[in-house]
Amino acid sequence: MNLYLPIAEMSVNVFVLFGMGAGVGFLSGMFGVGGGFLMTPLLIFYQIPPAVAVATEANQIVASSFSGALAHLRKGSLDLKLGFVLLIGGVAGAGIGVVIFSRLREAGQLDLIISILYVVFLGTIGTLMVIESLNAIRKSRRDGDAAQAAIPKQQTWISNLPFKVRFHRSQLYLSVIPILALGLVVGVLASIMGVGGGFIMVPAMIYILRVPTNVVIGTSLFQIMFVTMFTTIAQSATNQTVDIVLALILMVGGVIGAQFGAQMGQKLKGEQLRALLGLIVLAVCIRLGWDLVNMPAELFSLGLGGGH
Amino acid sequence: MRLTSIFFLLFCWLTDGAFAQGAEQADVQIGLSNETVAITSSFDGADVVVFGTIENGRADLLASKAYDIVITLTGPTGNLVVRRKERKLGIWVNGSAHEFSDVPASYAIATTRRVGDISDAENLKILQIGLNNLNLLPLGEEIAAPEAEPFRESLLRLKKKQGLFSESIGGIEFLTPTLFKATIRVPANVPIGKHEARANLFEAGKFITTRSSQLTVRKQGFEQAAYDLAHSNGLLYGIIAVFIAMATGWLASVIFSKD
Repeated sequence: MNLYLPIAEMSVNVFVLFGMGAGVGFLSGMFGVGGGFLMTPLLIFYQIPPAVAVATEANQIVASSFSGALAHLRKGSLDLKLGFVLLIGGVAGAGIGVVIFSRLREAGQLDLIISILYVVFLGTIGTLMVIESLNAIRKSRRDGDAAQAAIPKQQTWISNLPFKVRFHRSQLYLSVIPILALGLVVGVLASIMGVGGGFIMVPAMIYILRVPTNVVIGTSLFQIMFVTMFTTIAQSATNQTVDIVLALILMVGGVIGAQFGAQMGQKLKGEQLRALLGLIVLAVCIRLGWDLVNMPAELFSLGLGGGH
Repeated sequence: MRLTSIFFLLFCWLTDGAFAQGAEQADVQIGLSNETVAITSSFDGADVVVFGTIENGRADLLASKAYDIVITLTGPTGNLVVRRKERKLGIWVNGSAHEFSDVPASYAIATTRRVGDISDAENLKILQIGLNNLNLLPLGEEIAAPEAEPFRESLLRLKKKQGLFSESIGGIEFLTPTLFKATIRVPANVPIGKHEARANLFEAGKFITTRSSQLTVRKQGFEQAAYDLAHSNGLLYGIIAVFIAMATGWLASVIFSKD
């Protein structure tokens, strides 16, 4: 069944997109990530214009992170105060990101920058995840089930920064500077790459800010929800690239897939999940990296001129 | 450019006709199967049938098939940038670019036979008949620079690949010696706006006359409303998109949190 997308201005197969939404939703439910880093490249492979893919994906993530954040709020695994500080940085970052996005689009380099950012971030994080999880798997084999991943000591330069605030839920007494900076970086990336940024936010919160693991995902989802809301509205107002029909198909597929993924995720061990996710991340990275270095079949591309 | 040349030819034809009193010139009339193409949610392209007749054709010329028809369907024009990827530091990035002015967003042509056989090259160039005779010039230039040539060729190739430019040689079917029709495919990615269907009549290689008719392509219903809102009030559109997402997310958490 074909459906016409009013903003992307193309006719697409509903079942293919619904399947993509469900498949990525399944993975995101299984691994507890937003899945934007998989969905945006998939949409681009499916010939959706990159500008539309990025902005629409932000809109989809609003839905998945909102339902996730609600669940964590009920369970009490969400640090609202920490979330708000991250959010201030995040919204500022997303604002900057949308402006950069617009400029790159005019300069004809948007697709390139999106691809490079994906390759760099997916490559780094995928490698780190695979190494970390393989170590954990080896360790748990050796020590039996008593293995407990040691969280590194907080770096002294971070604990020496001024403007310290107490976060009760996370049991942290921490400067707001690294939190705002992390929020800002993730906000910029979210709006340029069309991702929530959970795959950067979660490890950074654990390893840099030393936020306890039980509040990390809830708090990260809370921040992602607001940043993607802001991104959706800003992209829509600046670039008119949010396709509401496309977003809705992906949302429905995504939330259904996520439920099955979450059930599947409970059957696998944490380190196995992380290793698997790391491999998927690396596979997407290699695919995108290959397209950058391999000579493209079509060297020419069309874009709207300035005088339209 | 295009219009002036057509007017010039029309003028020649009119004055020609005035001197050759009595002997009526052949003429052509066309009509479209539909005057609007509405893009709805299930839109996957459409066919537009152009019907036409040759009027006052000389019987001997009609019998020997000396009349040729060229039908074009041209979309709204705008500037278009063609970029070429170049290898820099090992990766392929968009390098040099040429911007072309007044490029039709879509262009479909149907003819009675091979374009080159219908009239001489100069005539076809003036009338912009055939993909290769489209007057595609880099912005602000009178003549195309040789380095822009691969970009012009790529423009045509990419537009053809997108289904927006098409040529149908022999796509005009004669139902009677004077009545003809051509079916023109309007692709799913057709640009919205005013399109012009035009029929050119040739008599033994000589351009006789041209007639045109307008086709409006527009989105309808929800598609129209969504597109209009996105472009007239992007902020409100974004806020609505966020609310829809939140409603979907909330609904999902209500449905699935029962266990």
